[in-house]
Amino acid sequence: MDPIIPILVVALSALAGAGLLALIFRQSARTMTVAALTGAMAGAAGGLLFMLPLNFCTFEAERSSLDFSFGIVLIVLGVLIAVLLVRWLLSALFSGRQLFSSEHTPGAFKHGWLAYFFLAPTIVILLLFLYYPAIDTFGLSTQLVKLGIPRTAFVCVSNFTSLVGDPKYLQAVGVTILMSVAIVVFSLGIALTIAMVAYLPVKGARIYRTFLIWPYAISPVVAGIIFLLIFNPLAGIFNHFYQAVFGVAIPWLNNPAYAPWAVIIASVWKSLGFNILFYIAGLQNVPGDLVEAAAIDGANAWKRFWSVVFPMLSPITFFLIITNTTYAVFETFGTIDTLTSGGPLGSTTTLMYRIYDVGFTNRDLGKAAAQSIVLFILVIGFTLLQFRTTAKRVTYGA
Amino acid sequence: MKGRFSLLMVVLALMLALTAVVPAFAQDPIEIPVWIAFTDDSRLGWAQDKAAEFNAAFPQYNVTITGYPNYEEIFTSTALAAEQGSLPAIVQWNEVSTQIARDSGYYKAIEEALGGRTEVNGVPFNLDDIVASVAAYYTLDGQFSSMPWNASSSIMFSNMTYLDAAGLDTPPATWADMDAACAAIMALDNAPQYCWTWPNHGWFFEQWLAQQDGLYANNGNGRDDRATEVEFGGDAGLAIFNFLEDQYNKGYLYYSGARDGDSWATVDQAFGAQEVAMAIYSSSDTTYYTNMGVDNGFEVVASFMPYNQEVGWTGNLIGGASLWLVNGLPVEEEDGALTFLAWFTNTENAADWHKRTGYIPLRNSSVELLTSEGWFEENPNQTVAFDQLNTSTVTPATAGALVGPINAIRGQITAAIDTLLLSDTASADVMAGLVAEANAQIEEYNLLNQ
Repeated sequence: MDPIIPILVVALSALAGAGLLALIFRQSARTMTVAALTGAMAGAAGGLLFMLPLNFCTFEAERSSLDFSFGIVLIVLGVLIAVLLVRWLLSALFSGRQLFSSEHTPGAFKHGWLAYFFLAPTIVILLLFLYYPAIDTFGLSTQLVKLGIPRTAFVCVSNFTSLVGDPKYLQAVGVTILMSVAIVVFSLGIALTIAMVAYLPVKGARIYRTFLIWPYAISPVVAGIIFLLIFNPLAGIFNHFYQAVFGVAIPWLNNPAYAPWAVIIASVWKSLGFNILFYIAGLQNVPGDLVEAAAIDGANAWKRFWSVVFPMLSPITFFLIITNTTYAVFETFGTIDTLTSGGPLGSTTTLMYRIYDVGFTNRDLGKAAAQSIVLFILVIGFTLLQFRTTAKRVTYGA
Repeated sequence: MKGRFSLLMVVLALMLALTAVVPAFAQDPIEIPVWIAFTDDSRLGWAQDKAAEFNAAFPQYNVTITGYPNYEEIFTSTALAAEQGSLPAIVQWNEVSTQIARDSGYYKAIEEALGGRTEVNGVPFNLDDIVASVAAYYTLDGQFSSMPWNASSSIMFSNMTYLDAAGLDTPPATWADMDAACAAIMALDNAPQYCWTWPNHGWFFEQWLAQQDGLYANNGNGRDDRATEVEFGGDAGLAIFNFLEDQYNKGYLYYSGARDGDSWATVDQAFGAQEVAMAIYSSSDTTYYTNMGVDNGFEVVASFMPYNQEVGWTGNLIGGASLWLVNGLPVEEEDGALTFLAWFTNTENAADWHKRTGYIPLRNSSVELLTSEGWFEENPNQTVAFDQLNTSTVTPATAGALVGPINAIRGQITAAIDTLLLSDTASADVMAGLVAEANAQIEEYNLLNQ
């Protein structure tokens, strides 16, 4: 590596940091100077955030041009993180606000340390079992690590950049998106329909509501096994009846066109109980007088549902979209593993399943760590996007 | 309340005193922890019964057997235990982990530990008695490395109801015979849905390759020197691909879509439900498959795994697992572990293990014992795997490949067969992609094990 590179990185990121912050705080000369100075320091630190642990390896001569570009992206990302942090600090400083409110809210601890003392057990457990492994994953993602082999090798960012042109990885991204969307849409749609019907005041409603919620108590693995018995191409129950009626069998598990649907059906069935439960609870909170008023105004049943009940349920729907997406991405693993194991032709290999496949079947922990970081960023990004878009349509009542 | 508390204290004090005093009277037996990859009663239970028998016969040792659910988990647990310095005395690893076992430094070769002794604590340790193809697999650099325990081979089970109806007295022996038999079976009025099936597991590809005397990897299948690339991409490997594709396209071969470890159960189901006439499978379940026929009213005949008639049959290789002796044990513990290994795999125990499970009898002396008991006459299916291995010619190909990441490559092979059968990609292209992926795995492995 050229020895000029570290100096260049620091200088350029300092310049970028100074420029960005000066631009943000351009309202007066005083604020601009302070912002530019702190921005230069923060920018330099941000540029080094990823490059120091990586030892500027992306700019070594033997790395690919993709690695080089990835290095630039990491520097820009580091600078942006630092700039946003400083921007928050400075705007508080300039406006005279205190960063951490010292006002005593009623019932708060007189001594702050006492609160931390009581929090300590939780914090220690979180640090040990959540944050430390999470941060360790970043280190692991830059290594060639194979389970059962004591030696490891540093591979810079190639665990990440090798994903770009990997058709199997891109297929997994597509499968994850399609399956998640299908699971969320069908699960919520069916759950709402069932909840509307189950909410009707009929005799024995409590009993069949309990039955409806039952599948939720079953683990994803058991759901997978149940549907494995139903969908088995040769001796499954489904095809036994389907063949008797239509004369053909559906190749549920050994045809890439049908296998994702087997997983989607099993997952929807499994998550249905949870969604029904929340929708029934939500329906109980829709004020009866609103619906009644709409009825008096001449709204028909559909209109009453679409314009009154559905908007009143929007906080529940929003919550369920987030939880069901998380379920579809992370928790369908057990169902996939027992039902299709990611096949046939990779048609049910989601990103989560792929991480398992790479990490445990191939015993390649470094690549698995890199892919889990990518998945983490994708899910965070997607959730933020949902908060930005969908959340605006959510009404939390009058 | 106070009275009860002091009573508790007295009891506690007594218990403490007892634990301190008792060892002074009786010599503490040396602990020999053994990890195996079975949890079922017929295998873990058998091993635990044997350990209890051993402990009674050798009171100076206490062998404890811990079961793990499968080969993958025992591998992971061993790797973690090694990192923490808490390895047991004996670990069971499957045959494809042999190269990693060799590279890891966790284990000591049995022959090295014996150091020329032919018996330990009066128990004879006779390695020359082990069946040749098994001995060949576990002999590394001329040294017997680990103690084979459960060894099997791949054989074929036939539903004779269908074969008889199609006018076949014996199961087909070659790929061409298989094709002809399937044509006849599928033309029957009450034909099964498919003619035959097999688990899409990498082991069967390895078997068909060995039959054709085809090497899996270079440098004498990784036995002369570390393997640097795979060699199965040639004619032998392509012949397997073309055979499978042809059988699938003709509608003879049933492929459940399940791969690797999941694939076994789908074959059990298809054969048990009589939806296929023949199943290529592991001999480890000979008892199970034979009984499946008894329970459902059809005769099951076991036969050699069909081979490529264009090339001829060289031999089949083994599968299964072996028991590794952990490196760096104290001398007394190592001797105890060796004593247990010798006793656990002696003539009688090896014969009993075979009867219980269907894994092949490991010793020639066990075979003689079983023959004299009339076991093989009563159970003709049980001889097939042993005969197949015993008539195999031992070459580098049939001794089996030693390739570090062979476990990962098995997954790549089954994925390639999946692509071959379910998509329109030509077999040569599928093979080219597979070879590139497998070589990348070997390259990475070798980078970490120079």
